[in-house]
Amino acid sequence: MEKSHSKHEWRANTLPAMVMVGPVTLVLLFLVVAPLIFVGIMSLCKTDEYYNVVYDFTLVNYAKLISPDYLKIYLQSLLIAFFTTVICILLGYPFSYIIARTKSKKKTLLYMLVIIPFWTNSLIRIYGWRTFLGSSGWLNSLLMLLHITKEPVDMLYKTGTTILGMVYCLIPFMILPLYTAIEKLDTSLLEASSDLGAKPVKTLFEVIIPLTSSGIFSGSIMVFIPCLGYFFVSNILGGGNTDVIGNLIERQFKSANNWPLGAALSIILILVTLVLVKIYQKLGGDMDSLGV
Amino acid sequence: MKKKILGLLMSALLVATMLTGCGASSTSEATATAAGSGELNIFVWTEYVPDSVIEKFEKETGIKVNMSTYSSNEDCLSKVKSEAAGAYDIVQPSDYMVANMIAQGMLAELDFDKLPNFSNIGDSYKNPAYDPGNKYSVPYMGGAGAIAVNRDKIDLDIDSYDDLFDPTLEGQLVVLDDFRAVIGMANKALGFDFNETDTEKLDKTEAKLQSIKKNIVLYDSDSPKSALISGDCNAGMIWSAEVAMAMEENPSIEVIYPSEGAYLFFDNWCITKDSPNYDNALTFLNFMMDPENMAMVLEEFPYLCANTAAIELMGDEYSSNPAKNPPADAIAKGTYVENLDSEILDIYSEMWTKLKE
Repeated sequence: MEKSHSKHEWRANTLPAMVMVGPVTLVLLFLVVAPLIFVGIMSLCKTDEYYNVVYDFTLVNYAKLISPDYLKIYLQSLLIAFFTTVICILLGYPFSYIIARTKSKKKTLLYMLVIIPFWTNSLIRIYGWRTFLGSSGWLNSLLMLLHITKEPVDMLYKTGTTILGMVYCLIPFMILPLYTAIEKLDTSLLEASSDLGAKPVKTLFEVIIPLTSSGIFSGSIMVFIPCLGYFFVSNILGGGNTDVIGNLIERQFKSANNWPLGAALSIILILVTLVLVKIYQKLGGDMDSLGV
Repeated sequence: MKKKILGLLMSALLVATMLTGCGASSTSEATATAAGSGELNIFVWTEYVPDSVIEKFEKETGIKVNMSTYSSNEDCLSKVKSEAAGAYDIVQPSDYMVANMIAQGMLAELDFDKLPNFSNIGDSYKNPAYDPGNKYSVPYMGGAGAIAVNRDKIDLDIDSYDDLFDPTLEGQLVVLDDFRAVIGMANKALGFDFNETDTEKLDKTEAKLQSIKKNIVLYDSDSPKSALISGDCNAGMIWSAEVAMAMEENPSIEVIYPSEGAYLFFDNWCITKDSPNYDNALTFLNFMMDPENMAMVLEEFPYLCANTAAIELMGDEYSSNPAKNPPADAIAKGTYVENLDSEILDIYSEMWTKLKE
């Protein structure tokens, strides 16, 4: 009796769950968990004289990570990510508010304006910026045509250019969660606030922003984290002068050819990400809105 | 009972579809190898082998060429190592990297009976120190890490690598995105060996590099000429042929070979050890040493060329242009990159990180 009951339970609960969740679990195991474990193991390996990986335990790669030069780059990378996120919020919030509050066809149009750039590879778009901002690029030609400047302005290959590229690449990741949050905002609350005598500025800071803070949090996470890794933006628009953590990893896997050190750097990036997500959760962020 | 059967059927179906997935991919792999007789995978430098020449080869031989590119020797090495054995048939390493790859047993010996066009190669380019007897490599093209200056924009007297460290050049330089080239340049500027291994001297090089940091705005090995042509950079240390190409766009750009002796490189054709298309690869190497085909390359990418017969075809415009065909004394004074111990290379890597942070 007992046995048949448990059999029934297996058939009713366990089997369907296994059938439905099993394939995804397998994919995650093979394509996420296994590679992560491999990266973890590699970060603890040595290299021989030709930089081949030798499976021999060492902590030397982690010891190298706390050198002042690397710490400086982590800090620089975090600062670039911070400014990018702040700029994305400042630019993205009003835009998302407008989309969320616009009615009918115009809304689709505005929404498409955010989505369409995604259809072109970001690398190509970043090269476009390089052509646009160059000494003989469109922007400088226009400025000189209008007699605003006499000589072309140096705009490329600066930290600011890197941040511009990051903002450009990542702002959709800020706008979309903000849009979702603002969309949910109940307009009657705004009316209530106004009826009770609050000025628009007060309504903004005491009603609108607190109620849409979940969108700001998840947008920030989704902008901040990729910013630490987008090495191609700093390579192309920063000229290779403003490294982010992604550049360090790229260099170890390519020109320096030191895979274990590159793996250790990747682990650092993963840890930073985990810490940020944890902070996000502590602040009351919703994991679902990160798409996790 | 029905439900149970249904459940079993469902899971069987799922497993079956999963297996079909595997089956399909392994069949396609099998066809790829079967068609391999007419294929060639080459892995070469960016902006170095013109498409027109590849198309001509495909037309003449019916062999399909898949070309991938890299922008530093170290990229090439790590990619060849990380791909499955035999992913690339042909690679194009520079001098020191040929020696490195030979030492690691990554290259196949060449069958010179199938390479009659090797006779077109100038004697001075045969039997190089990095591959005695040309067992594993045939020379392609080379050049120097030459200094380029836009004379319209820069008045400073420049005749050495050391002059590029001048503080008046702040925000003006484009240099190769290559740590051995740039650190070697700083070594030379201090009067040290290009491949310096003395750690006390390397400390000085590190300090020296910090003084050029503000001058360099762009690291680019793929197409450093672009920044010179657009005016984003007005001087730099780049591939000699890239200076030649920039000069064609803007005549006020000048080529200078540094008085300390230039950084030299020579790139070679090699076949990988596990190449599944060894015979096709030899056909390709022989094709590339044909004077007419080599002249086609030189028209587009005017580097220093090992093929004497091709140089004759190119005429005076090529031979007398110091950026295309570096003068003999510049070559005589220059230095090649040498393989260093990994402890020293680690120091070089660290210096590079400090320079680029």
